[in-house]
Amino acid sequence: MDAALQILFGGLFQGSLFAMMAVGLALIWTTIGVFNFSHGVMMMLGAYVAWQLSAWSIPLFIVLPATMLIMAGVGWLLQASVVRPLIGRPNIVLVVVITTLAAASLVENGVLEIWGPRSKQLPTLIEGNTQILGVGVSMHQIAIILITPVILGALWLFLNRTRLGLALRAVAQNEDASLLVGLNVTALYGLAFAIAAALAALAGIFMGGYRFMSPVMGADPLLKALIVVVFGGLSSISGPIFAAYLIGFFEAICSYYFGLYWTPALLFAVLILMLMIKPEGLFGAKTRGLA
Amino acid sequence: MKADLRATPGRVSWKNEAALVVTAFAVLALTPFIVTDSYSRHILIMAFIYAVVASNWDLSLGYGGVFNFGHLALFGIGVYAYGLMTKLAGIDPWLAMALSGAVSTIAAIVVTIPILRLKGIYIILVTFGFAQLVMQLILSQSDYTGGTQGMVRIQTLYLAGHNMIRDGKFAYFYIALAILFASTVFLRLLVRSKTGASIVALRDNEEYAVSRGISLVRQRVITLAASAFFTGVAGAFYAAYQRNASVDVFGMSLATIILSMVLLGGTSTIYGAIGASFVLTIFAEVMADFGAWRPIITALLIIVVMLVYPSGLAGIWASARASWLRRREG
Repeated sequence: MDAALQILFGGLFQGSLFAMMAVGLALIWTTIGVFNFSHGVMMMLGAYVAWQLSAWSIPLFIVLPATMLIMAGVGWLLQASVVRPLIGRPNIVLVVVITTLAAASLVENGVLEIWGPRSKQLPTLIEGNTQILGVGVSMHQIAIILITPVILGALWLFLNRTRLGLALRAVAQNEDASLLVGLNVTALYGLAFAIAAALAALAGIFMGGYRFMSPVMGADPLLKALIVVVFGGLSSISGPIFAAYLIGFFEAICSYYFGLYWTPALLFAVLILMLMIKPEGLFGAKTRGLA
Repeated sequence: MKADLRATPGRVSWKNEAALVVTAFAVLALTPFIVTDSYSRHILIMAFIYAVVASNWDLSLGYGGVFNFGHLALFGIGVYAYGLMTKLAGIDPWLAMALSGAVSTIAAIVVTIPILRLKGIYIILVTFGFAQLVMQLILSQSDYTGGTQGMVRIQTLYLAGHNMIRDGKFAYFYIALAILFASTVFLRLLVRSKTGASIVALRDNEEYAVSRGISLVRQRVITLAASAFFTGVAGAFYAAYQRNASVDVFGMSLATIILSMVLLGGTSTIYGAIGASFVLTIFAEVMADFGAWRPIITALLIIVVMLVYPSGLAGIWASARASWLRRREG
């Protein structure tokens, strides 16, 4: 019973973090058709911005939305500076990989310059621990498990029920037709990056509350988000979300039974197997995404 | 035939290219007599190592169109293979260096299997994951690899009757140069051969190439395996030269630098990547005074060049050459 509960909590918790990261990557990929390798440092920068705001003793309920707004602006800026000028180039996928990697290195070293290498920690969302059926869990983790579906649900509503969200999906499906009906495609590109960066920042705040922050803290979540989107398929938003929780549970089970060291190896083995059987992803349909 | 033939094998005649390569390497071989201090020689040795890694990456990335983001892992595998073979198995360093190349080649074949059916971004994701996996495995086997501490006191290369440590890096310079020379000749021979042409054909028009009887599976394995051997040898040399190994070689920062060498130099040229390696390595040294600002300035430079010159330094060279030819023809 204890084991099952521990795995359940671990899976839900890791899955929430993975989902928050992967959704942004998938959103950018479906809309613009590029891969954002700065996504990890967006998460890290979000955590540092939140830390700075809390250090000025601003209460947490203001820090959260303020950080997300600031990071949305940073995401927009990132798009405008290293992605938008390249649109239309034949080798855009590869060139954007290198420009976003360079941007990531820029931000990482910039953060190191500004805030220094010493580890920092953010305040938790809710303090204290609790017992559920005899298993001790922190309130912070429970808050993350509960908040994430709400945020992801809001994102789904936005993409499916609002004009702006539908416009974003229209660009993802057919850029030329979107231009013809008068959508501002460049602005929508910026919006996709802004939303992705804001969500990454939120994931950063979640992570900064239970683990020490460092300028390289985004590297591992980025890798996990990559695995998640490959697993779930890049063609939709819901695919990566399901895959995130699936992988969260897989990790929880593996690290419980095989130990932490073997988890990445097992995860990768499963990933390779999946790609050989169904390369378009577990929930993906065959789309241009493969090209 | 006025079309852009830059990536086409057989444009410059064999004789001219061979003469140019031999001249360039002869000039490089003379530099230790002008550059006598060991620190400057060290910079050149590092430039040679990076040039080998970057130009081999150009084979899979530029010619093959395979976005292999695990290329630096092949280098890292060479580093650790050499370290483990000389330290644990007591294999002769020179033999271990050649074997490291073979180990990297086998690793490249292994990573090719899952990406055979994939394209573009999916290849990036899987190979990136492969690199991370190799790093995790090395970290987890800390009894042998030293884990996060890295490996220290790795056995160095030797020459009979010659002290490699007190010659101001004279011998290391020539070993590095020899590896670069062998690698460059191998790569150019490959890309100018029929095999090279078929690799390019698969990149440019896969359906047509396959319909003409080129095997995608075989050519992709050949491309990746060929790009791995000298990368692994360079890794082994790096381990023997530095005498230590750490998982930093799997890190994003080194990958970004080497990738920018490939792209700044212009893909599908081999020489472009080598030239850019020299430029960037020496540039990084000139910038040494900026300390912590160096990576920031390097990153900015990469972004600016990618935005302004999409085909890299080779593109600048090609357009300059084209305008010169136009003027000469009047």
